[in-house]
Amino acid sequence: MTVQADVGFLEAPDAQRSKQELDLKRFLVQLGLSLLIFLVAVAACFLLSPYAPNEPNFLERLSPPSASHWLGTDQLGRDVAARLLYGGVWSIGLAFLVTIVGAIAGTAIGLAAGHFGRAADVTLMRVTDSFFAFPELIAAVTIAGVLGPSTTNMVLALILVGWMKFARLVRSLSVDLAHRDFVVQARLNGLPSYRILWRHILPNIAPSLLVLWTNAWSRTILSISGLSFLGFGVQSPNAEWGAMLLDGKAYMQTAPHLMIFPGLAILIAVLSINLTGDRLRDLLGSNGAAAG
Amino acid sequence: MLNTRSKVVAFILALGRRLTGLLCVLFGVSLITFTMTYFAPGDKASAIANARYPDVQGFPPEILDGIREEFSLNEPFFVQFFQWLYRFVQGDFGNSFASNTPVWDIFVANAAETFSLTATALVLGLVLAFALSSIAVWRPGSLFDRASVALASVGAAMPNYWLGLLLILLFAAQLNWLPAYGTGSPSHLVLPALTLAFWITASQTRLLRAFFLEAKAAPYIETLRLRGVSETEIFWRHIFRHAAVPALTMIGLDIASLLEGAVIVELTFARGGIGSLLAGSVLSRDYPMVLFLVLFSAVVYVFINSMIEFLQEIMDPRNSVWSHQQAVPSGEARS
Repeated sequence: MTVQADVGFLEAPDAQRSKQELDLKRFLVQLGLSLLIFLVAVAACFLLSPYAPNEPNFLERLSPPSASHWLGTDQLGRDVAARLLYGGVWSIGLAFLVTIVGAIAGTAIGLAAGHFGRAADVTLMRVTDSFFAFPELIAAVTIAGVLGPSTTNMVLALILVGWMKFARLVRSLSVDLAHRDFVVQARLNGLPSYRILWRHILPNIAPSLLVLWTNAWSRTILSISGLSFLGFGVQSPNAEWGAMLLDGKAYMQTAPHLMIFPGLAILIAVLSINLTGDRLRDLLGSNGAAAG
Repeated sequence: MLNTRSKVVAFILALGRRLTGLLCVLFGVSLITFTMTYFAPGDKASAIANARYPDVQGFPPEILDGIREEFSLNEPFFVQFFQWLYRFVQGDFGNSFASNTPVWDIFVANAAETFSLTATALVLGLVLAFALSSIAVWRPGSLFDRASVALASVGAAMPNYWLGLLLILLFAAQLNWLPAYGTGSPSHLVLPALTLAFWITASQTRLLRAFFLEAKAAPYIETLRLRGVSETEIFWRHIFRHAAVPALTMIGLDIASLLEGAVIVELTFARGGIGSLLAGSVLSRDYPMVLFLVLFSAVVYVFINSMIEFLQEIMDPRNSVWSHQQAVPSGEARS
């Protein structure tokens, strides 16, 4: 009896853990399925839409939503729905690109700071702190503006202002991990440091990194549309959501649909990524939010 | 067990380390900013000439050479950097290329606008967040609680320029209650302040709610309740006070990023202020103005952040100079 009770006691955390893993798996399956449905729907829209995003039609300028133009047309008679569809590629896709590059650069710098001695640590973290000292949006506006407003320069600016939080998170987590038994043992076994970093440190950091990355992704969508709305990012006639808002602003009184739908698209995209990130954070039990 | 005296010494040493770190960061910040403007594309001499004489097209090389001489643009990078830094530290921020008036004067003229906007928004946003979160935690899981959580989630995803446009559409274009664009009367302040306040409300409601719930879950709260202490007293004297410490940190972080929000809101509502000044001078390549504004925002940001860290360190009972507990090193885990 006592033996069984003991085993039950020992099993309890395991059972809890496997339930958590099951929850995580179920969530990932749900996420994958919804993404698939979403992508199929978007692809269908691309294939079936009779309108091109930059095709003007001067007979149908500023027409309100109707059966032939579900979300209306803009000041040049371009279909708003088609433009929103292509705009999503700019807003969401560019943000994806920017945060992936930032995450890779930040992770590399964070790992280097955490593992290549004190001099490297102090130097790299001082540099990180210096970059961190600039408010993100102000730095992005300045860099993009000084280089000349364009999509490339905006992407450059956002990468320059976006990598530091990854570096900080990775550094602090990997310093904590460096003293754990399995890392110490790996080192005593004579594993080269790149192998320790790749096989032992990185997989343990990955969950927190993923949570931070979803957070950064949604914030970058807001920054990209914000910069484009202010005229520092994607330029008209490209159908980025923020740029569409900027174009639509002038027709607020006569054609309010021009500024309602792009804003709604930003809101929905950012909200979905945020909620997914929140759920991931709960399921992974990570501390990624601490550095966000 | 450390005695009080060695704790004071440790405290002063920690303060010294912090100040050294701060100085390093400030130096790094000014180096990055200067490097950015130094390597910016385009000829600076013609930028200055264009700004000075906006009506003239094409400048003879003698004038450009004169300008290069005047602004020592021919010197090597580090000479220019240290000359600039030397003057900057002494409070000589240079003249704006565009108007040839001191950068500082233009800044002061615009700072009041931004300050009134951010201060109004901060107060409004915090009052709303406090009201929402304290009612929400009264009954966790209630309809009001869930509504406030939903509002906070939507608010975090809401682009504030879009919210601004929606407010203009509703209150200025449709209802005609308030002016949409510009600066001047207090009524011009309402919509921009609301836009910025909503962002603060959204971020703070979520956090305050979490802090309140955490404080509420402490076992001693139940003890107080069993002893017959009134709910009002429990909330104000215990829950509120416990939530205040972490809340102050988060509010500090929001204050630091208010300046960013101000840039967007000022441009959306075509208001004057530091944000629209920055955007304007960036586009016209008014480098002394840009240098000053970017450095100003970075210094404010760094200053507020290190104040927060410092306050946290003081308020942490483990680090207290006066506490009788043994000091526990709390190094990296928090960073």
